[in-house]
Amino acid sequence: MSRLAPEGAALSSVAESEFALASRRRRRLTRQRLGHAAAPYALLAPAAVAIGVILGYPMYLLVRMSFEKYGLFELIRHQGKWVGTANYAQIFHDSEFWRVLLRTALFTVVNVTLTMVLGTGIALLLLQVSRWLRIALTTGLVLVWSIPVIVAVDIWRWMVDYEFGVANWSLQHLHVGNFVRHDWFANPWTGFGVITALIVWGAIPFITITIYAALAQVPQELLEAAAIDGARPWRIFREVTMPLLMPIFVILTSLSIIWDFQVFQQIWVMLDGRPTSDYYTMAIYAFHQSFQISEYGLGAAIAVVMVLFMFGATLVYLRQMLRAGEIR
Amino acid sequence: MTSGTQIAPTPILPVAPRISGRRRLHKLGWNVLGVIVLVVMVFPVYWMVATAFKPGQKILSYTPQWIPTSPTLSNFRDAINQPFFWDAVKNSVIVVTVVVALSVTLAFLAALALAKFRFYGRKGFIVLILGVQMVPLAALIIPLYILMSRLHQVDKLTGVIAMYLTFVLPFTVWTMRGFLLGIPKDLEEAAMVDGATRFGAFVRILLPLVGPGLVATSIFAFIQAWNEFIIAYVFLHTPQKQTLMVWLASFTTLRGTDWGPLMAGATLCAIPVVVFFLLVQRRIAFGLTSGAVRG
Amino acid sequence: MKVRFLVVAVLAAMLAIAATTASGGTSKAQAGKIVVWLQNDAQNGWPEAVALANRNFKAQHPDVDVDVQYQTWGNHLQKFDAGLAGGDAPDVIELGNTEMTKYMAAGAFKTLTQSAFPNNKTWLQGLKNSSQYNGKLYGVPYYAGARAVIYRKDQYKGAGIKSTPKSLAQFVADGKKLMKKYGKDSGYSAVYFPGKYWYYAMSFVYDYGGKIAVRSGSKWKGTLNSPRALAALNQVASIAKSLSRASKTTDEANPQQALVFSKGKVGSFVGNGWEWPYALDAKLGNPALEPVVGAYPMPSHTPGKFMPTFLGGSDLAVPVTTKNQSLAVDWIKAFTSTASESEIAKAGNIANTTKLLAFNASNPKLAPFARAAKESWFVPTSPNWANVENANVLQNMLVKIFTGRASVKAAATSASSQITRILNTGA
Repeated sequence: MSRLAPEGAALSSVAESEFALASRRRRRLTRQRLGHAAAPYALLAPAAVAIGVILGYPMYLLVRMSFEKYGLFELIRHQGKWVGTANYAQIFHDSEFWRVLLRTALFTVVNVTLTMVLGTGIALLLLQVSRWLRIALTTGLVLVWSIPVIVAVDIWRWMVDYEFGVANWSLQHLHVGNFVRHDWFANPWTGFGVITALIVWGAIPFITITIYAALAQVPQELLEAAAIDGARPWRIFREVTMPLLMPIFVILTSLSIIWDFQVFQQIWVMLDGRPTSDYYTMAIYAFHQSFQISEYGLGAAIAVVMVLFMFGATLVYLRQMLRAGEIR
Repeated sequence: MTSGTQIAPTPILPVAPRISGRRRLHKLGWNVLGVIVLVVMVFPVYWMVATAFKPGQKILSYTPQWIPTSPTLSNFRDAINQPFFWDAVKNSVIVVTVVVALSVTLAFLAALALAKFRFYGRKGFIVLILGVQMVPLAALIIPLYILMSRLHQVDKLTGVIAMYLTFVLPFTVWTMRGFLLGIPKDLEEAAMVDGATRFGAFVRILLPLVGPGLVATSIFAFIQAWNEFIIAYVFLHTPQKQTLMVWLASFTTLRGTDWGPLMAGATLCAIPVVVFFLLVQRRIAFGLTSGAVRG
Repeated sequence: MKVRFLVVAVLAAMLAIAATTASGGTSKAQAGKIVVWLQNDAQNGWPEAVALANRNFKAQHPDVDVDVQYQTWGNHLQKFDAGLAGGDAPDVIELGNTEMTKYMAAGAFKTLTQSAFPNNKTWLQGLKNSSQYNGKLYGVPYYAGARAVIYRKDQYKGAGIKSTPKSLAQFVADGKKLMKKYGKDSGYSAVYFPGKYWYYAMSFVYDYGGKIAVRSGSKWKGTLNSPRALAALNQVASIAKSLSRASKTTDEANPQQALVFSKGKVGSFVGNGWEWPYALDAKLGNPALEPVVGAYPMPSHTPGKFMPTFLGGSDLAVPVTTKNQSLAVDWIKAFTSTASESEIAKAGNIANTTKLLAFNASNPKLAPFARAAKESWFVPTSPNWANVENANVLQNMLVKIFTGRASVKAAATSASSQITRILNTGA
């Protein structure tokens, strides 16, 4: 019911939701009104302080830097030179930036879609398979999850190795085509294919296990009731399961967008720390400008633009989440 | 959102009643698919472990050796004998323990506020923790370093712990909030009828119900803190203070990657995560007992 | 039960924090300690040289500890930049010689007095140049590496090659013989030449009389599209196409070319001195090749001469943030002493002083490399050069040429204008 409450009107909605409660409860709350009002802030304080102290000041520095000329010279002297919006102007006039942005956006869409579809699929599959296989699969997923990214990249880089890669050997011997000394990274499309496979592979365990845990919370009664009504499995999924899973889906999708949009290690390490410009994504572009070209101001500006862009991309989800996450 | 739909805790994994012949065939199909998924997912991990047991010359080979025919422990010996291995283990354990404990505790408290209270600034905070995750780490390193050196926290585990905590917190708060939202108000109210205080109700009723949430977030925090590399590399200078990931990176030199010991080291690093998971797995996947649902 | 777990966990966390804070307090930088950042090549390749330097330093300063922290090439500048920003960079740092100019120009290092260091009159000229900026000395040469052709004697003989080539034309002809004899195996390379191996490719450019860039006054100009450079790059493209089956998109270190060589499908490759023993390494390489591996300096297109090799190497510098400059200088003196440098040379490198070149020349496994080092080239000494490297301009150009995505001329022209832009404007 409180879903319908207008957003932002904190005070009035507190009153409204309180009003709806049983009278017994209202009495208690009147007595504890003061304590009640302070409680959420007290609960929130430790986390807020931790985030505020450790991230607040660096974020301020980052934003300030984005308006400064901040190269190696300035870095050593701990003093940037104010240049107003020059860094932003430079970025927006750089055709490379727009290419990178487009590439990153496309890359994110493909990765997030694949991750969510496959992750959900495997979670649903877990419900269907025998118990032993379910245990084996979950254990396998956790194994995958437990592999550090830097190691995962090395494993994959090595599986698709040009000289000794197991991928080339297998594809050759399965007669898929001529894969002897196939160079996956010569063509950015196949190169990004490998990177996507690596990222999706690494992301599936988290998505699957979370969705599986959420699926387990779906009341059996609802599913059975729907089944008795003669609904087919796909319809049950769409009309019963999906709506219930929506909040978790929204969270996972926005997180995946945020993570995939910022992908760095996977591309960086896969290409020996020397990706050609065909492989630049936003995070690599920002890193390149900061640490390699030593234009920290430009790098900071790119980071700020990235954050704004991601906010834009997740805005729909954000609104939905804020609404879906209302207190009942 | 139908208020008052009280659903009692239910057995969790959809049970498979009445197994008919057709169903069994279905099941077989699903199982086959499941095995394929399993093989595809696990193969890279297998390849890592298999490599760890192969002697150096067999690793780079034009014809892959699917099973290490002459398994050797020499890679593991090399890995462990690499300097500062035990220091790295100790540091990683300290970092992970503290980060997991603190992040789960703080996240639970914050999530309670976000999920169960309506207060001024709530949405702002939710947007903030989402936004915090959007800042690319590579761009934050220099600003973070400036802050940390002012606080005299460079080259100290406490500094790294503090940073990990803030990077893990947004996610843990968020996930925990999701789990708390899943618990119907009716259950809390039932507790209050018994005359418990609101806080008492939270602790007695909510805590057990968010068990899976606690476990899921602690696994997340564990893996993040255990596997993080860049922060640990940049902020910890003294070899005795470095974590396992920094230690692992020492296998890659200008002279290429030393695959055998690297894979052995990676295998060793993965073991604690798996053990941790096995310790808590009953809560998350096989024995989810919280049937509390969004009504 | 949950509550108890939580309480225990929180208590444990607090204890652990208390413990780490307590132990963290003792390790604050004191005057009694200097911090040295070396690349981990030293850790694996010549630990004796480091130990020796530490012993000698300790004898001089018994109450000062040396904390040598090993870094990796991929990330060390990231960490160094952070240290500069925070004001706590190490007291001594090793930098690659192509990385030096950018930091010298930005004022990251203390100036040094040349006469204070051992063998300073006989420093390798190439390394010394990379340690100076605007006539001031900011670094001390540490060691260098020169490349030569490492080859399979048995395969050369098998293909009917009587002696090692004395000209580039002969080198190519020999390569063709090797391909004819062994090239039926689709993985065989007569000359293993991966696409991003720009140190080797640029040697051709300098051999043909070209340059990466030239300076006139204060302006730089990329010159890879000059006729001489283009002739060289065409030669490179033809060698890569006809004699190499190496990956067109990787570099010489991934996979490590010496290990590829040790698998038997490579007739020759151009590598550093240490790559020869590395190919024979008992654990990773193939010790059985010991009797059939040799090396010779890469021949020039001018018969009888040698092709200039890239003089790679490292310098040691003292960051401006240090509070222990004199101690840092003393440690560098100890580390670049003749005794330490001999250890470094033994590991297959070229020592920082010409005095030790004779030492290299007397060892048949080091001599070809020492000979090759006599003709060398170096990158343009502009503070912005590091940005050219970091933008992968040369690698991108080579990958385009090798994969045929652009003609030699088009790729070189676009790379040249990029180099001109970066060297003059920084980005």
